[in-house]
Amino acid sequence: MLFLDLLADGVVTGCAVGVVAVTFTMIYSTTRVFHVAHAGIYTVAGYSTWFLTTRGLPFWLAIICSIAVCAAVGALIQHQLYTRLARRDAPPLVLLIASLGALVVIQNLMAALFSPNILQIPADWRVLTVGIGSIRLSMPQILLAVSSLVIFAGLLAWSRYTSLGKRTRAVAANEFLAEITRLEPRRVYITVMAIASGVLAVPGSLTALDHGLQPYTGTLVLLTATIAMIAGGMGNLFGAFVTSVILAALQTTSTLVIPGQWSIAATFGLFVILMIVAPTGLFARRPR
Amino acid sequence: MNFFLSYLAIAEIYALASMSTNLLVGVTGIFSVSQGAIFGIGAYTVGILTLNDWASFPVAMAAALILCALTNLAVALPALRIAGDYFVVTSFGIQIAATAVFMNLTDITGGASGLAGVPPPNVFGRDLDEPGAFILLSSIVLAAAALFFWLVLRSPFGRLINAIREDELAVTAAGKSVLAAKVGVSALSGMFVGLAGGLYAGFLSFIDPGSFDIDASILLLTMIVVGGARTLAGSLIGPALLTALPQVLSVLPIPSDAAGPLRQILYGLMLIAFMLFRPQGIAGRRL
Amino acid sequence: MSGPYLDVTGVSKRFGGLQALDDCSFAIEPGQITCLVGPNGAGKTSVFNVITGFIRPDAGQVRFRGQVLTRMGSRRIVGLGICRSFQNLRLFADLSVLDNVTVYLPSRTDENPFRPILRPIRTEIERKRRMAAAMSILEEVGLAHRARDAVRNLSYGEQKLLCVARLMASGAELLLLDEPTSGLSAQALEAMIALVLRLKAAGRTFLVVEHNTRIVQRLADSVVFLHQGHVLAQGEPAAIVADPKLGEIYFGGAL
Repeated sequence: MLFLDLLADGVVTGCAVGVVAVTFTMIYSTTRVFHVAHAGIYTVAGYSTWFLTTRGLPFWLAIICSIAVCAAVGALIQHQLYTRLARRDAPPLVLLIASLGALVVIQNLMAALFSPNILQIPADWRVLTVGIGSIRLSMPQILLAVSSLVIFAGLLAWSRYTSLGKRTRAVAANEFLAEITRLEPRRVYITVMAIASGVLAVPGSLTALDHGLQPYTGTLVLLTATIAMIAGGMGNLFGAFVTSVILAALQTTSTLVIPGQWSIAATFGLFVILMIVAPTGLFARRPR
Repeated sequence: MNFFLSYLAIAEIYALASMSTNLLVGVTGIFSVSQGAIFGIGAYTVGILTLNDWASFPVAMAAALILCALTNLAVALPALRIAGDYFVVTSFGIQIAATAVFMNLTDITGGASGLAGVPPPNVFGRDLDEPGAFILLSSIVLAAAALFFWLVLRSPFGRLINAIREDELAVTAAGKSVLAAKVGVSALSGMFVGLAGGLYAGFLSFIDPGSFDIDASILLLTMIVVGGARTLAGSLIGPALLTALPQVLSVLPIPSDAAGPLRQILYGLMLIAFMLFRPQGIAGRRL
Repeated sequence: MSGPYLDVTGVSKRFGGLQALDDCSFAIEPGQITCLVGPNGAGKTSVFNVITGFIRPDAGQVRFRGQVLTRMGSRRIVGLGICRSFQNLRLFADLSVLDNVTVYLPSRTDENPFRPILRPIRTEIERKRRMAAAMSILEEVGLAHRARDAVRNLSYGEQKLLCVARLMASGAELLLLDEPTSGLSAQALEAMIALVLRLKAAGRTFLVVEHNTRIVQRLADSVVFLHQGHVLAQGEPAAIVADPKLGEIYFGGAL
């Protein structure tokens, strides 16, 4: 059935978007930077994995290297850009513009180095499919869904059970506490950025394996993810992930009724309506 | 000579657009990456109306003005209920949705191949079909817009949006509606960039979605970041420099495939460098 | 007019695990200075936030001249005549001293975004009128000579006076001051106290968060003692300050 196939496709994509949304939420709620360059990290992941596999590295090893690359780029942005700006009390707008600048540089650097055309990661097994009931999923899709869920669970556990995670959550939940914690925040911020950027390498590479690579696709993924973050109830990791899945599923299944090129416009329209009807989001805890 | 006049005309058009960005981003502190889209709506409105002979140039310009103001209002709409940071998301969304409309509403916009043969502006029965004549029109429009920009900035409303950038909570405590002011400035800024879009279509006589995509929005943002926020001079210097840049780059031996990305990289680096080292731009005030 | 001037009854507010306000009740009389005292974290700023509509209480209500404020937005509350200052001042740092005051002046049509374009001359006249109004307020608080300066160049004491000037500009009759004297030099302190007493004499009502008991005794007609979000006592300043039990709570048993 076409509908079920599209739904499965959407759910899988949604899992990848979910990881972006969850990591973005983590960064936003701790560092208070609307880190649009996160989309650039997602792009870097795909290209780094592509580059390493074309140089003969096995795919799994390439992914591991990409995790390190992404973590390093994320930490670098935090350390060289956000921390410097924060040190001189730059307003959020300035951080945002700088972040956008970083995104533009990263995406176009990829385009300039590796051409703006579609690239395929060389791995024969990416075309293998597995049937579950009447639905067929490709190997990359299955890996994508499983790894995203594992990462999501891992991040939830991290934020709930480790001391750094707890502190991150506390900072996110309470402005007053944030002020106190800001006494020694730099290391926390860099760690959060490195973790959030590193895990992004997994869905970034697997999506690239599944659909091929292009420099500018990350922007759309990030848009959906940020919509999910807001619609899911700010700062709520669970809400962000689930809303991502719902949004992506809506996007793919909606192609049955409206032409594909309109689906992002439709998602966005939905967001506007949602924000007017339920401004605190779908999974918001009690209004503060 | 013609080459220089063309450059001047384009720079003037972008100066109009920069005033719009300056009102929104520089003065009020609302981040926007949808300026390119609104610019495009102005251009397409004038292009479509005059190409099909549905309206004369002045009427089409008025329509562009109103339509752009209304679209920018729609951008502000979700912010009726949610806090400021999410303007980013709406603005990204509007940009991407607008590009989808320009690309896919093929019957009206000509799709990816764009609209060719937009007639030159016709004012008082005269076709302004060469740069020398056009520059007269664009200079008059620019001068009038600059006067308005200056009037708005010094008016009580101008003070209010300046205060909003500084501290929304303190403005709320004064019993002022931050939202109403933001909606107002969105509409106002839409009108400035709509004007720019309309002139752009009339001057180039060819428009396509690529001129109004997210890269265009980033260019418009870079212009005020480089020129400087909150001043008239900044709104003029930024466009003057950045419209010259592609010409300068085209002299260098760069493969055409990489020219586009390289230009964007340069814009991105400028955004970062100015934020780090000179947040007031060349002739503005601190962002 | 029935009932008290400003009446806070049974207001409670919870933030996550923190009970900021707990069945908080007190009243203010017109033309008086009421001081809100209590240890840190007692909920004094939360009281301001509830009265001015910045946060909505979980229970209870606030009434001003018989009108229920609790469901109103902060805009209408300012319109009714209540304006608040902030502990961390929240001045518009990049704007001039004069503009900090003009932004707080009430307006009906003069802040319309299209007015400067449609009626430039009218707007210019209004702008002049607003500047004159702001200037006379600055003269009243003694900052007229600094009108053109940037706020960041003012001394801390001058900045605090400017906060009061902004509230005066709003035209409010009930002014809520959050720690107006903290961190002031002796000289600035006297200027502030003199200003508040002068405004009181001119008919304004005050609710003031104040830590220093000496200043409380000089300013207050009535004192509200807040502890853990609850009003423990309200009464004459001398009586509250003399109460040994309250003193112990306030100074953490140090006395």
